Amino acid sequence: MILINCPYCGERDQSEFSNGGEAHVARPENSENLNDKDWGQYVFYRDNPKGIFYERWVHSHGCRKWFNAVRNTSTDEILAIYKLNENPPSKENFTNTLKTPSGEPKVGSGNFTVKK
Amino acid sequence: MSAADNKNSSYITDKEVSFKFDGKKYIGYKGDTIASALLRNNVRLVARSFKYHRPRGIYTCGIEEPNGIVQILNEHNEPNTRATVKQIYEGIRVSSQNRWPSLNLDIGSINNLLSPMFSAGFYYKTFMGPKGFWKRIYEPIIRRTAGLGKPPKEFRSKSIHQNHNVDIVIIGGGLSGLITARKLINTQYDVLLLEQDSFLGGILKNSKKIEKINNKEPNEWINETEKLIKDSKNIKILKNSLVTSYNFTNHLIALEDKSVGKKIDINKSELTLHKIRTTHTILANGHIERFISFRNNDLPGVMLAASFEKYIHRYGVVPETSPVIFTNNSTTASLLRSLIDLGHKPAAYVDSRNKDKIGRKLLNYLEKNNIPFYINAEVEGCDGNKKIKTISIKKSNKIIKVKSSMLCISGGINPDIHLFTQSKGLVKWDDKLVTFKPDVSFQNTITLGSVSGNYNYEKTVEEINNKLSFLKTKNIKLKIELNDISNFNIKELWETKHERKSNWSKSFIDLHNDVTTKDLKQAVREGFDRIEHLKRFTTNSMGTDQGKISSINSLGIVSKILKKKISEVGTTTYRPPYAPLSFSAIAGRNTYEFYDPQRKTPIHNWHIENKAVFEDVGQWKRPWYFKKFEMESMHLAVQRESEQTRKTAGILDGSTLGKIEIKGKDALEFMNLMYTNAFTKMKPMSSRYALMLGEDGMIKDDGIVCKFNDKHFIVTTTSGGAPKVLADMEEYLQTEWPHLQVYVNSITEQFSTFNISGPKSRDIVSKVFTDVDFSNENFPFMTFKVFDYMDTEVRVMRASFTGELGYEIYITPNKALELWKKIFHFGKAYDLVPYGTETMHLLRAEKGYVVIGQETDGTVTPLDLNFNWMIGKKKKDFIGKRSLTRSDTSRDDRKQLVGIVPIDKSEFIEEGQHVVECERLPKQIRTPVEYLGHVSSSYHSPNLNHCIAMAMIKGGNKLMGSKLFVSSTYGTKNIPVEVVSPVFIDPENKRLVS
Ligand SMILES: [Zn+2]
Repeated sequence: MILINCPYCGERDQSEFSNGGEAHVARPENSENLNDKDWGQYVFYRDNPKGIFYERWVHSHGCRKWFNAVRNTSTDEILAIYKLNENPPSKENFTNTLKTPSGEPKVGSGNFTVKK
Repeated sequence: MSAADNKNSSYITDKEVSFKFDGKKYIGYKGDTIASALLRNNVRLVARSFKYHRPRGIYTCGIEEPNGIVQILNEHNEPNTRATVKQIYEGIRVSSQNRWPSLNLDIGSINNLLSPMFSAGFYYKTFMGPKGFWKRIYEPIIRRTAGLGKPPKEFRSKSIHQNHNVDIVIIGGGLSGLITARKLINTQYDVLLLEQDSFLGGILKNSKKIEKINNKEPNEWINETEKLIKDSKNIKILKNSLVTSYNFTNHLIALEDKSVGKKIDINKSELTLHKIRTTHTILANGHIERFISFRNNDLPGVMLAASFEKYIHRYGVVPETSPVIFTNNSTTASLLRSLIDLGHKPAAYVDSRNKDKIGRKLLNYLEKNNIPFYINAEVEGCDGNKKIKTISIKKSNKIIKVKSSMLCISGGINPDIHLFTQSKGLVKWDDKLVTFKPDVSFQNTITLGSVSGNYNYEKTVEEINNKLSFLKTKNIKLKIELNDISNFNIKELWETKHERKSNWSKSFIDLHNDVTTKDLKQAVREGFDRIEHLKRFTTNSMGTDQGKISSINSLGIVSKILKKKISEVGTTTYRPPYAPLSFSAIAGRNTYEFYDPQRKTPIHNWHIENKAVFEDVGQWKRPWYFKKFEMESMHLAVQRESEQTRKTAGILDGSTLGKIEIKGKDALEFMNLMYTNAFTKMKPMSSRYALMLGEDGMIKDDGIVCKFNDKHFIVTTTSGGAPKVLADMEEYLQTEWPHLQVYVNSITEQFSTFNISGPKSRDIVSKVFTDVDFSNENFPFMTFKVFDYMDTEVRVMRASFTGELGYEIYITPNKALELWKKIFHFGKAYDLVPYGTETMHLLRAEKGYVVIGQETDGTVTPLDLNFNWMIGKKKKDFIGKRSLTRSDTSRDDRKQLVGIVPIDKSEFIEEGQHVVECERLPKQIRTPVEYLGHVSSSYHSPNLNHCIAMAMIKGGNKLMGSKLFVSSTYGTKNIPVEVVSPVFIDPENKRLVS
């Protein structure tokens, strides 16, 4: 249960929010000009990285506003929160120390998320 | 040789408590745990083991107990309770688990002699075949002989949840926890101190290790500290509260037992689940002693040394006045001293270390007190029937036998890193302490005292001042005087060499799950040399105790087999909960009628009076059908309701229907994007059946759209679909089309809805709403009117869910019942019948109307339902439009909607059955029978007097008129059917528009 800082309401428990998957996937405007493959890419394909991920959240049991977040998917740390009309923070701001699969600490798979 | 009271203990009171264990009555003292009371009564055999049914006794004095797991008969039959934690009270009834017929005579113990069969991986290897054996033979036997206790007989949760937001949480009210709390008294921080026991003090009360604090007796210092904390404004103490989970963002779960040592009051909550969010977490939760593996290290009478000492000091019971002590470190010195101070003399002291490691002080003490001691020696094993009789000590290859009924062992102590690793902190191996200890915190976590690997109590204050220097507090000064004879000085020892071999002799690594050290060796031999694999293959440390006294030992043994360092072997993952917690604690108040809110329409009580049988639709209670008389069956009622509706008129309470209002400058454009239909040319005050798709082109929801004007629409959704449709609308407005000025609002509860249909429905509504012109010319199909009625606004729409002439009436819920009754008042003359959801489904099926979620399942496009007419092909865009021309969605062999009827009209087609081409299924199916589709709805139509069904079948459109077969649950013979149009009644729609 992580804490999420809704840009409109402030810090709230994760249970008040719903995740909306990868952010910045714009709906194609002239979809009739797209071939099946490109349209399929929009409908069915999303990234699912281990590490830094730009994603969408909605405060569904609160203000019901959508917003964006940058989250480290392997530690669940929320690194940044920004509104839909704001520019995403550059990826260089975040260091992803995790390498998969060989870079994990030797001691215990349960410990691989530690910041060193 | 037996148990004795510790007469110096302040614990012994005159408050005697009687309790029952396995039907026999015993007397203990108030505050005793089941375990301490049984030890006081010299009861040594308390359980049978999980797999081999070996006799077992109390092994520890706390949450880590692997053996003494019992069932509390008078508390909802609560199973898997730790006898070492649960306090007794007058009249508590306790039974042992996992034995049959009794603890003393246990038939399952034959497993012990068959044990070669039950070695590591036994379940995986043995129960592979033959086919069918698992269900009929293996599973029932395993369930009877293995297993832990019986499930509670009845269950009624009495727990509540409580939330906390604090600055600092201190876990553990022992020495470090109390010093930390003292440091934080009257500071700016909000502090919560959590203690799993019913009193504070921890090690101070459990042992004689600390003589004095600031020249005060430890008990006096504890009381003084507790008073200071209670008088402070910023620190709250929660006793009997066990932290079970340490989640992300410093979120902790603690379980408070409200009825410790008391009979449960069924009118009060028994448990409180504390959900705590904190800025800093201070772990001061101490350590847990570990055992040593040797031959028969599970015999009743073997006990951890520190636990034995706990029984002396905390519960005032000396479980045995002359036990043997076996150790590889110096923590047992205080047990030695505790016994001698009480005038008891241990039968022997066995130490695996040499004299340099033991230290002169301790050796002098042993000599001075005339205790037989053996250094550089090991316990080879112990023997006895259901309790220890003799203990074999091995020194320089000689075996010395000592008689005693108890053996106190210490294999060292482990910092209790469970919560620390749950928080994702990193641990490291300490060669000096021979254990894992916390290294790097992941969250704002600070470890203090023995959990941090600091076993030197004199240095506790210094550690606390250093580690908490970032807080705005003053340094604390305390003088701690120790009673210890020597330093910790542990020497690594995991298992002793044993001599005698018989099937009965075993050296255990996990007492709870009956895993032996031999199993570990076998598992490694079979290739399970990764610790996570080995754990699952052997079930080592997978019991309800999670191997608290033994998991590090197994790493030690495995490292020896693999010839690796323990740090290279690594630990397995520690997962919440720290200790078992009951489901009722998690459920809290969310049980029975409070589990999910029930939603009732304003007409609900009328439905009850009129013998409605209800169906759950989401959270809604909807009438399923109405019984005309008590004995009327569902089939008869539905046939009667359907027939009457088509004959004269029927009415359905449709208040559950989702309703969403859409307003704004760009409402029309928004509607054109959300739905497949074209709304631009639609006239104001008219309505339309509409479809909503996902971007993948599959049908998500349907409903009727009412257009007031280009800036104002009201849509209905399916009863269960309203929240999702509203959320989707909001999502698109915020994320994709923020330039549109549109407001969406749920108005489901703001309007009650009735559907009246049948040839006489016009007559009835004309009598109710006398001012409204219901003539076909002035009120045509798919239009609506809004007018004042009974001092409120009513909307009436001409629409149909049944294929008959019909009206849908919307009114404020406050006046809904009054209107409903009025409709029945005028409807009486026309035999108006109330009908429920089952008749609704039947009537719409006769007309070939689909139900979203019945005919569709998220893989059906509008084209599959022949809904081409509903698609605004000229629109540039709507959600899912592009997907309708994907190569996959435009295939003509997709499953398509058809109607089917049995060729023999007396036969009935079952819903969910397969549509196939063959007349008969083979008796033995060797290759899959080709399948064309499935039956999505099927009813007996009272109006046609035979079965009608809808099916989704491959290339259905091209199969009209062909003969196919439908499988049945009554054998291999299939039912011959004909593929027809799904519209069975009034295909020309004459009734709708008349
Ligand atoms: Zn919010």
